[in-house]
Amino acid sequence: MSSLASMLQTPGAMVECDDDPEAVFEYLCAKGWSDGLPVIPPTPERVERMLSFCDRDFDKPVVKIPPRFGAATPIRVAANAVMAGCKPEYFPLVLLALEALAEEPYNLYGTQATTHPCTPMLIFNGPVAREVGINSGHNAMGNYFRANAVIGRAVRLSLVNIGAAIPGTGDMATAGTPAKFTFCVAENEDNSPWEPLHVELGLPKDASAVTVVAAESPHNVNDHESITPEGILTMVAGTMANTGSNNAYYAGQPVLAFGPEHAATVAKGGMTKAQVKEWLWERATIPLSKFSQEGIDRRFRRKLAEQFANAPLDTPVHMWAKPEDLIVIVTGGAGKHSQYVPTFGNTRSVTRALKREDGELVRSIQELKRG
Amino acid sequence: MAQLTKRGLIAAVVCSDTFMKLGTAQAKVFGVPDLPLLKIQHPLGGLNMDKVVERASVALPQLLKVVKEKQS
Repeated sequence: MSSLASMLQTPGAMVECDDDPEAVFEYLCAKGWSDGLPVIPPTPERVERMLSFCDRDFDKPVVKIPPRFGAATPIRVAANAVMAGCKPEYFPLVLLALEALAEEPYNLYGTQATTHPCTPMLIFNGPVAREVGINSGHNAMGNYFRANAVIGRAVRLSLVNIGAAIPGTGDMATAGTPAKFTFCVAENEDNSPWEPLHVELGLPKDASAVTVVAAESPHNVNDHESITPEGILTMVAGTMANTGSNNAYYAGQPVLAFGPEHAATVAKGGMTKAQVKEWLWERATIPLSKFSQEGIDRRFRRKLAEQFANAPLDTPVHMWAKPEDLIVIVTGGAGKHSQYVPTFGNTRSVTRALKREDGELVRSIQELKRG
Repeated sequence: MAQLTKRGLIAAVVCSDTFMKLGTAQAKVFGVPDLPLLKIQHPLGGLNMDKVVERASVALPQLLKVVKEKQS
């Protein structure tokens, strides 16, 4: 294990500024190291404390983050986690999310630099999410809850400060999305009628995992009237089918995050997750005629010629390629709302389980505490 | 293009003015800081054929200059 003290002797590893909070904030903003919100100064003591939940070599890159392909070493990620406001026990989840993002199917390079407003949506499952307090109840995708706010924020700060996803030079998003500050949720497993996402994907129920999705902001599905699965899913399908979505062109894996009440209605009506996906795939469609003439001529007839070269104008355009590509979770509290999360399209979700250095699944975050 | 350059071929990237900073940074990241960027007016997407020809007429002389320089 490299010594933190010796790493801090590396030229450029440390900077000094006035320790007044406003002065620190001004300094970090001037350097371009903040997301525009105040940050906790990453002093050596705080970074060391953050690393108390790290079982890796502090200076060995865990991943490289494009577009700069900066080396995300634990010490660098820890500095960003401190700035974001993480507790040390959140740190393994930040690293886990970065590892998942760096897997090739996610297409981190494309999602970082694109003009599209996508950002990593982090979906946590399993006991560790509960243990560290990632909210899965009321306002799960909103504000107020520290773990949701700062774990997602630490990932974003790492993408900017290590990967150089700097607006206008490395992140070319036309308008971006407020979800770029943070987009971190847990699945409400206790209030889901179905198996949780990580179990559906083959992990044991007591595993803890993150699933990363290159997501837009959530789009709400309000349905206070329907009392049947078909009724609710009709409303969901209508929200999914929109011509401006990347998913109409590039497929990908959008997310349907049922509110628990909608999920209960659908499940009581006898539908499994697989049936929900099949039903929605068939009906979340847009007739080709609804796209602009230029879109039909240039994109569908040419770029997607295999499917649409000679297709009649009433041909349905599906919002994702195969029924099973839709990701279905349950999150949030009471209320007749669900969320649809479109994606970048040219990306696949990646799920990674939280493991110890010896490869064993982590059942409690305390297993990762040093010493 | 970085790979082609590293293999000794003459390569260049057409880049709209808005994306020049990204293009320059990426050329450095991929180890070919001198990779020629052929600058055209933004946007590149969503153009009719006249505008495409206009962009090409701006890029072509730059490409020919690159080829001549590399060959000499």
